[in-house]
Amino acid sequence: MKIVVAIKQVPDRDAPIRIAANAQWIEDRDLQWAMNEPDAYALEEGLQLKEKHGGEVIVLSAGPERVGSTIREALAKGADRAIHILADDLGARDALGVAKLLAAAIKPENPDLVLTGLQSEDLGLGQTGVILAELLGLPHATLILRVEKTDAALKVKRELEEGWFQSIEMPLPAVLTMQSGGNKLRYATLMGIKRAKTKELRAVNAAELGVESAPTATLQQISAPKKQKSTLILGGSAKEAATALVEKLKTEARVL
Amino acid sequence: MIDLLPILAEPRQFVLWQRCLFAALAGASTYGFWRRFGPILGKILQSKKDPGFRLFPIGKRVRDSVWEVLLQAKVIRERPLVGFAHALVFWAFCAFALVTLNHCAAIFGLGFLDPAGRLGRCYFDFAALFAIACAAGILGLFVRRFFVRPRWLGEISWQSGVIALLIFVLMSTYLAAFFVTGPSSAVQALWWAHTLTLLAFLPLIPHTKHLHLVLSPFTVFLSRGSFAQIPPLSGDEDFGLVAGKDLTQLVSLQAYSCVECGRCMEHCPANATGKELNPKEIVLGLRGYLNEFGPQSEEPLLGKFNTQAAAFQCTTCGACEFQCPVGIEHVPIIVGLRRGAVNTGAWEDNYGSKLFLALEKGSNALGMPAAERDKFVEKNALPIFDGTQEYCLWLGCMGGYDPRGREIVLALVRVMRHLGTTFGVLRKEKCTGDPVRRLGNDLLFQQLAEANLEALAQSKTKKIITICPHCVRTIQEDWKEFGTPPEVEHHSEFLARHLPEIVAPVSRMAVVGASTPALSDPPGHSGNETIVFHDPCYLGRYRNVYDEPRQIAALAGTLVEAPRSHERSFCCGAGGGLAFLGEETGERVSQVRAAELAATGASIVAAACPFCNTMFRDALAARGEGAPELLDIVQLVARGLPTEE
Repeated sequence: MKIVVAIKQVPDRDAPIRIAANAQWIEDRDLQWAMNEPDAYALEEGLQLKEKHGGEVIVLSAGPERVGSTIREALAKGADRAIHILADDLGARDALGVAKLLAAAIKPENPDLVLTGLQSEDLGLGQTGVILAELLGLPHATLILRVEKTDAALKVKRELEEGWFQSIEMPLPAVLTMQSGGNKLRYATLMGIKRAKTKELRAVNAAELGVESAPTATLQQISAPKKQKSTLILGGSAKEAATALVEKLKTEARVL
Repeated sequence: MIDLLPILAEPRQFVLWQRCLFAALAGASTYGFWRRFGPILGKILQSKKDPGFRLFPIGKRVRDSVWEVLLQAKVIRERPLVGFAHALVFWAFCAFALVTLNHCAAIFGLGFLDPAGRLGRCYFDFAALFAIACAAGILGLFVRRFFVRPRWLGEISWQSGVIALLIFVLMSTYLAAFFVTGPSSAVQALWWAHTLTLLAFLPLIPHTKHLHLVLSPFTVFLSRGSFAQIPPLSGDEDFGLVAGKDLTQLVSLQAYSCVECGRCMEHCPANATGKELNPKEIVLGLRGYLNEFGPQSEEPLLGKFNTQAAAFQCTTCGACEFQCPVGIEHVPIIVGLRRGAVNTGAWEDNYGSKLFLALEKGSNALGMPAAERDKFVEKNALPIFDGTQEYCLWLGCMGGYDPRGREIVLALVRVMRHLGTTFGVLRKEKCTGDPVRRLGNDLLFQQLAEANLEALAQSKTKKIITICPHCVRTIQEDWKEFGTPPEVEHHSEFLARHLPEIVAPVSRMAVVGASTPALSDPPGHSGNETIVFHDPCYLGRYRNVYDEPRQIAALAGTLVEAPRSHERSFCCGAGGGLAFLGEETGERVSQVRAAELAATGASIVAAACPFCNTMFRDALAARGEGAPELLDIVQLVARGLPTEE
């Protein structure tokens, strides 16, 4: 099975995020970067499918030079080769624009399965994978926790709201957007890093892929959430306070 | 005077057939020795060269060899009675070297020591004293092995019985020759009995654990140079001890040197609490592997002879290595096996993966957001290190994120402020890499070490102080592979240096507390405290710091000692990354140790390591009412300081 895993490099969770001067994106100098977590699960699923059924895992990522470190991490964890779409203007592209880049790189590969995370940890749009499926003309399923390959098709487990799950069968080729937590991630190893050095990492320009960058949606402004903290001390006897608390939990917090 | 000394009787003359017979038997005996020893030596020499091994400076090697081999000091110190018996046998062997040489030369008329001559008479009598001592020693060792039978000696070994018998016969035939006069058939009989025993003994050496006679002096002399030193990896294909081809000459030499005395097993906390790990079996497993597969094999080391489970039960406390009388370095071997498993991805463990992933992305082994450390620093107004202060206060994962560890850090901060010592903390700090280093994840360790070394170089740190002996060890020794770490010390060393300045306030507390216990005092807090200090492995065995923390603890009360203390201290169970792994099999190491500490009757357990602290916190809490109070030594100091600064 030929599997393409699309991954994104996002700011590390512990990285100090500062808003850029034009308030349209974050200051991305001096940041630590990491692999988007749902993408890491997509990669893990791809690697496990390959280990079970044979084939090839190709990682694909769009972004500037720095994205190379995340690609190498994916190669170290076991991907066979990689494609790096060099694009410095990722912030200026909307989900459609990014999906077009990815689709243009994926098409010539003609994969059996495309995996990606259900959303990114930075923008969290949750659109890219779905648009990608549309552009490739492939069936897709979202929020996938587990993938099983049957004789000619796939059986996938989707996560629904409130602890419900859905199992569906679908044909191949397909695009799946993966949810975090369905698998156990593997750790990077010294051997993996050393082996990764000899693996193919092909870089292509956005221009070479023939994809224009004019966005259909533009980001106007980003801002940090305002600190809102209101503490209310409920007075009276324990019984009165408890009654008031239940009332507030029901009517204001609406958690009961 | 010399005329009064007894004379050893030797046959005057040997006839041709006797000389021929001796030559044939000696040849056969040497052949028997070499037929076994040759291949062993071959396997050792064919093993991989040790990366990073330096013969020089040689002074320490000579000193260690004199102390441990010639003087048998380590053997005697750690087990006085048995060690002394062994030393008697060893010294007799040394004294007999000349006697035996003369003995074999004499048959060809080349004897250089005349039993009747001045020198010969003195020397043979001198050797006779050793012979008596040796006979007594070997008898004692025989009784111990076959009748006392300590657990760690394992199954009864008939080989040892035969060897003991041979040694006893060697000594008694020598001594008996003082009581006969020549020329007589009795003299001949004794001479031949002695000779045949000797020739039977030689080929047995490489076939039994008595191979240590030949190898261990080299093993001790060729140690890696410092305690529990983890060697660097070499080249792109070195991932640690994966297969036979990864065994280095030192590891192979050590594997064949093991004398199976079981001291490692006796002191191993994993083995003592019913786990699979037995350091002796790890070493013997490597020997078995070398015998079967050889040093160039691709067969995994963790398989037929050693198991992954055992390798990952080690707390790297180093008690085995410290005790080993023949110079085996268990910690690098066990960590080497882990490196082989982790660096190739063969080790699958949920907790282990979680720890690795937390450190791949985040900054600390506890998997907390780095912002938690920022908040702690901010809330307690800890100054940021800017290169002007004397010390960079290294918080470590426990000091920066663990509630108990933070209390210890704050106690140290109070004391440093009281002493007027300037310090600052780094704005950002990553785990030193201690747990991943000991678990064998070289990729992650290198990343952490390099990132920290760079941050410290940028901040112009010259001296680090920290509450964690694991941080101290890793910064000082393990980081050396990737750069030049700043000077680092543990707070016990710092406090001991400032002892005079802290004596006054702390002992005042003790005295005041004793006479008028105030109502506001916490329970159990009085000047009549009895304190038991637990030696952390990474402070004691790893750093040789035993007295400093005791001097500090003694300020706050009367010290008592646990049955196992100083270099024999029993691990808390947290080392080697095990604090982050899952449930233990068998008993918990921490509970066994906590029970031992509590049984001293001390009112306070004093620790000097945040990992020991956290292990004992749980273990002592499990004991319920009446458990002793648990404090770090710096907390003992801090609570004696005046409240208003």
